Amino acid sequence: MAPPDPAAVPRGGSFASRLLNWSTWAVLAGLFVVSLRQTGFDVEALTSGTQDFVRFFGRLVPDWTALPQIWRPLLETLQIAYLATLMGTLLGLPLIFLASYNTTINGPIMWLARSVLTVLRSIPDLLYAAILAPILAPGPLPGVVALTVFTMAVLAKLASETVESIDPGPLEALRAVGAGRNRVIVYGVLPQIAATMTSFVLYIFEINVRASVVIGYVGAGGVGFLLLRYLNFFDWGGVAALIVVIFAVVLLIDLLSVWARSRLI
Amino acid sequence: MTTSTSPIPPTPGHVVRTRWLLGIAVVAMLALAVLALVTMNLPAWSRVQSGLERNLVPLLRGFVNPAWHVFELASTSMLETMFMAVIGTTIGGILAFPLSFLAAGNLLGGSRLALPGKGLLVGVRTFPEILLAIIFVAAAGPGPTAGIMAMGIHSVGFLGKIFSDVIEGIDAGPNEAIRAAGGNALHVFMFSVVPQVLPEFASNLLYRFEINLRAAAVLGLVGAGGIGLPLIQRLQFRRWDEVSMFLLVIVTFIIVVDTLSSSVRRRLV
Amino acid sequence: MSAHIAFHDVEVTYPGGLKALKGVSLEIPRGEFVVIVGLSGAGKSTLIRTVNNLVVPSRGDVRIDGASVTQAKGADLRRMRSDIGMIFQTFNLVKRSSVLRNVLAGRLGDVHPLRGLLGLFPRSDVAFAHECLRRVDIPEKAFARADALSGGQQQRVGIARALAQKPSIMLADEPVASLDPPTSHAVMSDLKRIAREEGLTTLVNLHFIDMAREYADRIIGMRDGFIVFDGPADEATDQAFEDIYGRPIDESKDLRGTS
Repeated sequence: MAPPDPAAVPRGGSFASRLLNWSTWAVLAGLFVVSLRQTGFDVEALTSGTQDFVRFFGRLVPDWTALPQIWRPLLETLQIAYLATLMGTLLGLPLIFLASYNTTINGPIMWLARSVLTVLRSIPDLLYAAILAPILAPGPLPGVVALTVFTMAVLAKLASETVESIDPGPLEALRAVGAGRNRVIVYGVLPQIAATMTSFVLYIFEINVRASVVIGYVGAGGVGFLLLRYLNFFDWGGVAALIVVIFAVVLLIDLLSVWARSRLI
Repeated sequence: MTTSTSPIPPTPGHVVRTRWLLGIAVVAMLALAVLALVTMNLPAWSRVQSGLERNLVPLLRGFVNPAWHVFELASTSMLETMFMAVIGTTIGGILAFPLSFLAAGNLLGGSRLALPGKGLLVGVRTFPEILLAIIFVAAAGPGPTAGIMAMGIHSVGFLGKIFSDVIEGIDAGPNEAIRAAGGNALHVFMFSVVPQVLPEFASNLLYRFEINLRAAAVLGLVGAGGIGLPLIQRLQFRRWDEVSMFLLVIVTFIIVVDTLSSSVRRRLV
Repeated sequence: MSAHIAFHDVEVTYPGGLKALKGVSLEIPRGEFVVIVGLSGAGKSTLIRTVNNLVVPSRGDVRIDGASVTQAKGADLRRMRSDIGMIFQTFNLVKRSSVLRNVLAGRLGDVHPLRGLLGLFPRSDVAFAHECLRRVDIPEKAFARADALSGGQQQRVGIARALAQKPSIMLADEPVASLDPPTSHAVMSDLKRIAREEGLTTLVNLHFIDMAREYADRIIGMRDGFIVFDGPADEATDQAFEDIYGRPIDESKDLRGTS
């Protein structure tokens, strides 16, 4: 058999291979270089930054006498995360159903719900807290409100595909029975998405715990406020103790959440 | 049909137990919520009310009239934020690439061998990013460098886990085929593993970029560069019209980047 | 005697231009067991779905006891639907819910909205649901998960759900197409028995000629969106079926044969 004619070999591959070719690499490299110049980040900054970091770590010897001060704000942090996850889920679910084409009321409402969610999703969690803190009086309240809104947005992003990909058959049967939209959702949609949703909610709780740690920094309650105070007073021992405690708690919740999620699916 | 008068059969044990468990779980969650609300240091309603009265109207007025004179400042800050995210994501990706292979069970020859790698990644990932940024600011001084390093390190954790999951999920078939054709481990790597994982790597890298863009916007709040710093200054001075302009720029920028990134990612995988 | 279900010149055109029904007029008296036969795409599914307005006709009207179901909207439509039971080829049960809950869902058209949302059905409804399961011979499966049942059993749950609505009309869209022959006959005979016991006006879509002849009072043949045959079951000769299916039914040309 004669070897194939090179000109007859079809060219071009999948979108992925076409995208990852030389011109794309060139553009990305250019973007990288521009970024370096604009931010003033260079190898020197990297090395000196790393050195500073390592040196700084030497000073971070935990001062365990600070522990009693830490418990209460830590509890508040967890409370904020818990409430925000709970309320965010309860408030977010109706919104998600309005934004999914198979459970919404009509076209314009779906579009409105989706737009609201898109905007909500593009604001970082800390920003919500920072904006709400001066308005709602510094303390846990702006933190809870901020993370509630954030939870709604993140849940919507995770769940939108789940809702729209369920089996439509049972929904048709329920409509044939004469059930209105809400009952169709409760009897037909919720059972199908329950397991996945619970997994998402646990994941969001994890994110919220990490977020609530820090929102105190901008005045929205929790251990972040304590951290700010330690930093301002250069109490490195306190900072170190706080960091260790935070790390332990977050790790614990992370592991619990992974375990719970594996039991669900 | 005549109405039935026959008795309802008894509910089997396991169903009753499940219902009880579910009921208890719901009650417990609500009770916990109430407990949290009551024990938290919530401000008195009068204080909240006065805060709202003082701030809500100027806030709404400012939000309806964004201040166009800060548009340029907001845009350049947002660009700087994006540049920070680019570098942070790149560093994260470069470091995560080799680490992920060390955390992938199917490449090391067993999932137990991958545990130390995975453990390291979990540790890095669990550490709140902002905390990292705060530490870097305290150590190296304020500015974008601190933010970039925080993002880079945190991204390693995130990307490392995702990448190793991708590696563990590849098809073993092509590996076998290459070995059968006489290739060694390096050939398997180059011609089977890498081509299979590259599209998903790229997609996840883009996703991380989306997240980092938001993170970078926020890191400035703690002094680590980007749009966060000018924003929080204006927040503290209650300059709502300028705040709203900044928010508008941030939201628009992020929506545009998200949309572009989503369409590229959809076609990659 | 006025018809129970009446189709007035019903046309259905799907978006994209496909004309599924091209002017169908029909009257079905109370209590009749009607089987609709025809090739896939002949319009059987569409026709049956215009009765409960799951498919809205582009032209024409479908009336039940004189009241238009095509024009009905909102609560009125839901009320009319709760009087019409429907079973599907793919059963359409909520897989992860229990059999009992699936059957109780049939009461959702009648029960108070809040009760329906919270799942707090009155005891009489729960008793009735168990009764419906008894009538389809699977009372012991009440608390099993719906997807743990066999195909035939799942369809029986579908019938029980329809029964729980206390309907006067029963619609069945290819109810046995996914089931093996013996199970199909079991389900069909159950359906016929219940229809007779309750005096239900029944419309069934079927593929198989033998089954149609065996169970129907009246057979309607459809082809390309039109009705090409309408008469009592014993008038449905092989010749008539050839008209419906558009090709000869000759045993010597039977593809399954050994010749």
